[in-house]
Amino acid sequence: MLGNHLSNEDFFVQLSTLFDSRRENGHGSVFLTQKRLTTIPPAKPQGPTDVLADLRPSDPQPILVRATNGKSKASRADKTKLSTVVEPDAQEAFFSRYAEVCKAGMGALKKRDRSARKKAKAKKRKAGAEGEKRG
Amino acid sequence: MPYLPTAAAWLTQSSLLIQARPSTTKITTRYSHPKKKKKPSSSPDTTTTDSTTAPPKAPKPATLILKTYDPVSGTCLKYQTDRAAEVGRLVASLGRAGRIMAALPVSEDTVMGDAPAATTAAKEEATTTNAPVPEASGKPTPTAKETMGGGGGGGGKKKKGKRGK
Repeated sequence: MLGNHLSNEDFFVQLSTLFDSRRENGHGSVFLTQKRLTTIPPAKPQGPTDVLADLRPSDPQPILVRATNGKSKASRADKTKLSTVVEPDAQEAFFSRYAEVCKAGMGALKKRDRSARKKAKAKKRKAGAEGEKRG
Repeated sequence: MPYLPTAAAWLTQSSLLIQARPSTTKITTRYSHPKKKKKPSSSPDTTTTDSTTAPPKAPKPATLILKTYDPVSGTCLKYQTDRAAEVGRLVASLGRAGRIMAALPVSEDTVMGDAPAATTAAKEEATTTNAPVPEASGKPTPTAKETMGGGGGGGGKKKKGKRGK
């Protein structure tokens, strides 16, 4: 998988199709992960200075974003794996686009229930009218 | 594996964890939709129509789980929701966390802190062995609390309604 990263744009296109295929199935999951991209494996701590070296890198680091549909073992053939590297200066644009794609893709979550509020309001109005009659 | 009560608490705790272990911590977002039980002619579309008198047989809702995990220390922070309204806010949180991961400067004004989270944050600071913990601790807390407090008013109308009953 190393070096197989998509461009940010392609990642979003394929992530949308991943969300779409989940919707067509009616069930299933989408996993998204993000972490700092470490090109060199972290060195074995040799002294107290090395341990905390990653806390203040000299430059901003790129981050790695992955998406899968979580298929493994028996259904390995259906597995979709996407990954992209987000450079520090592209992060802001990436995450605003990411929010759009996620909002569009996660449609099965609960919508804000406006009908209940409307009903409550009507009830209140009714109760108020009755009270006036009585009083 | 604690589930944190609010998204804001999840973000504060996660930010601290990422600050302490920026190169090993990862955030996993799981959006999952459970398998529907077989029921004849119950399309998911019927739930969205507004003219239902009986409460619709609620299909198991989809869930969104955010998990921050650091394999080195074994710390795991989770937050779960099922509301679509939160997606935008949560992805914005992911962006914020991403900035910390990338060691980019994080703007102070969007820090969402509440008092209990700040105290546990201080504890965590103490445990992470003399790491130079950056700014985002509980400094802006009191002002945030003050602004939150101003939510009264408009009680007169309600009282009227109650008397009516």
